[in-house]
Amino acid sequence: MARNVCLIAGGMSHWGVRQATQRDLFQEAGKACFDNIPALSNKDVDGLLVASAYTERCSFQTHLAPVIAEYLGIKPQNICARVELLCASGSSGIILAYGLIKAGIADVIMVIGGEMLYTPQRWEVQYSELASVDHDWDGTQGLGLPPPAFSMVAQQHMQKYGTTEEQLAMVSVKNRRNGLSNPKGQFQQEVTLEEALNARAIVPPLKLYDCCPITDGAAAVILASEEKAKYYTDKPLVYVKGSGQATLNNMSANMPSWTTWEALKIAAKQAYTKAGVQPSDIDVAQTHDCFTISEIIEYEDLGFCEKGEGGHFIEEGHSDIGGTVPVNTDGGLLSCGHPFGGTGIRQGIEIMKQLQGEAVKQVEGARTALTHNLSGFIAAHTVIIYGRDI
Amino acid sequence: MEGISILDGKYAATMDMYPLQSKEFNMIYKFYDYLREGRFTTTKCKDCGTRSFPPRIICEECLSENLDWVDLPTGGTVKVVTEEVRGVPIGFDDPLIHALIDLDGELTYFARVINCQAGELKPGDRVKLAVFPIDPLPVDGRKGEIIKQERVFFAFEKED
Ligand SMILES: [Zn+2]
Repeated sequence: MARNVCLIAGGMSHWGVRQATQRDLFQEAGKACFDNIPALSNKDVDGLLVASAYTERCSFQTHLAPVIAEYLGIKPQNICARVELLCASGSSGIILAYGLIKAGIADVIMVIGGEMLYTPQRWEVQYSELASVDHDWDGTQGLGLPPPAFSMVAQQHMQKYGTTEEQLAMVSVKNRRNGLSNPKGQFQQEVTLEEALNARAIVPPLKLYDCCPITDGAAAVILASEEKAKYYTDKPLVYVKGSGQATLNNMSANMPSWTTWEALKIAAKQAYTKAGVQPSDIDVAQTHDCFTISEIIEYEDLGFCEKGEGGHFIEEGHSDIGGTVPVNTDGGLLSCGHPFGGTGIRQGIEIMKQLQGEAVKQVEGARTALTHNLSGFIAAHTVIIYGRDI
Repeated sequence: MEGISILDGKYAATMDMYPLQSKEFNMIYKFYDYLREGRFTTTKCKDCGTRSFPPRIICEECLSENLDWVDLPTGGTVKVVTEEVRGVPIGFDDPLIHALIDLDGELTYFARVINCQAGELKPGDRVKLAVFPIDPLPVDGRKGEIIKQERVFFAFEKED
């Protein structure tokens, strides 16, 4: 008999350009997570999943899960492993924890993820990123860091659907505003539409505020069986309702379409079907706003609006607080930053708070919520649906 | 000195960007052999006819190992141009120019365009394959002998 699974606690380190080691960041995040659930101790955790992409490259550390277990005083008995899917490593960890608990293999799993990226030298970041695409074929074309790819996507979306630079900038303005009172994020600084439009170019038409930063940081959540969840917390239960994860291609030459993300549509369909909900049921969402154009295409391919209408969706305020589906209520990647393995977990934490009624930018009465990550060269998509009801 | 000094050169080799290309190290070495002749090639399945890219040693459609080498067009038309002004990885020139290139209907490849200034390349322009040598990678052979692995790679450039 499959069991119900709940997200019961979460916490994160400070995110930004950190003067710290990988171990420091994971300890900060782990402590913040345990502090979020006083009745549960590190000794109660029977499984640990660690999400990190650049641990070997940047910290010369493989076999990372036992390292983190030792530092956090966790003695896993049922699972202790690392998960890697670059930008979706954290969400992958959550999906795996969900499945393991559902199947009865473990009862209480911590999923902790993060990156220390500005090492060994700060300038190496861009070079390290050449590993994030098909290294032999796309990396060797200098396509590691993604702005060129997303510029190419933005240009095509603008040409095909009339999306404007103003609409792109509006995503950044909204997410920076949402992140203003998030003390753990990389930026607590508002950006005006004018500032966003006049910012320096990165890869035109993408400008500074259209791109998320590169970030050091970590985040952790605890998932538990419904029975254990009721034992450890009196807060409203937040269930994992369903998930989907899809890839159709990895190398750029095999991308079916740059402006409609087919793998995202597949992942979303799987998640909606398993959760038994529709796009219109989603009260709040955290989507992968690595670039402003990404969030616009995600509105469309997650089914929040019609194809090609993403630009109008932001312009008309539908994704803002008070809109039909507020998106990236904690500031998203554009404001919080993006330490790859930590991002999906940060999204899970914000959704948990929203569904518990404890978010800083609370969406009143939120009962069903969604997270989305894209990873690599827009090569894989991960969608998780959470809810107060199962 | 404890450990390996970053200054002795071995550390840098571990971060080298290009694959080893000779028969001893790479089963798709023919791609690089043909590249030296100015040909842009890939593998095609003799059993089911699937043309793959990148080249490989099994067909991803029917899993056959019975593959042929076939030529791809060495010229194409630019669909979208990007000019990376900031954040260019070390080893690449600033601005780093890429284009989504339609290789005459065979493949749409997002690739680097070299020998080109910012503002020079436009959608609709014709580009062609450009092959260039890259630094050889020293590989330790038997008895301490160092073998230098000669290598080439490719990008695209504007047609004259
Ligand atoms: Zn075949």
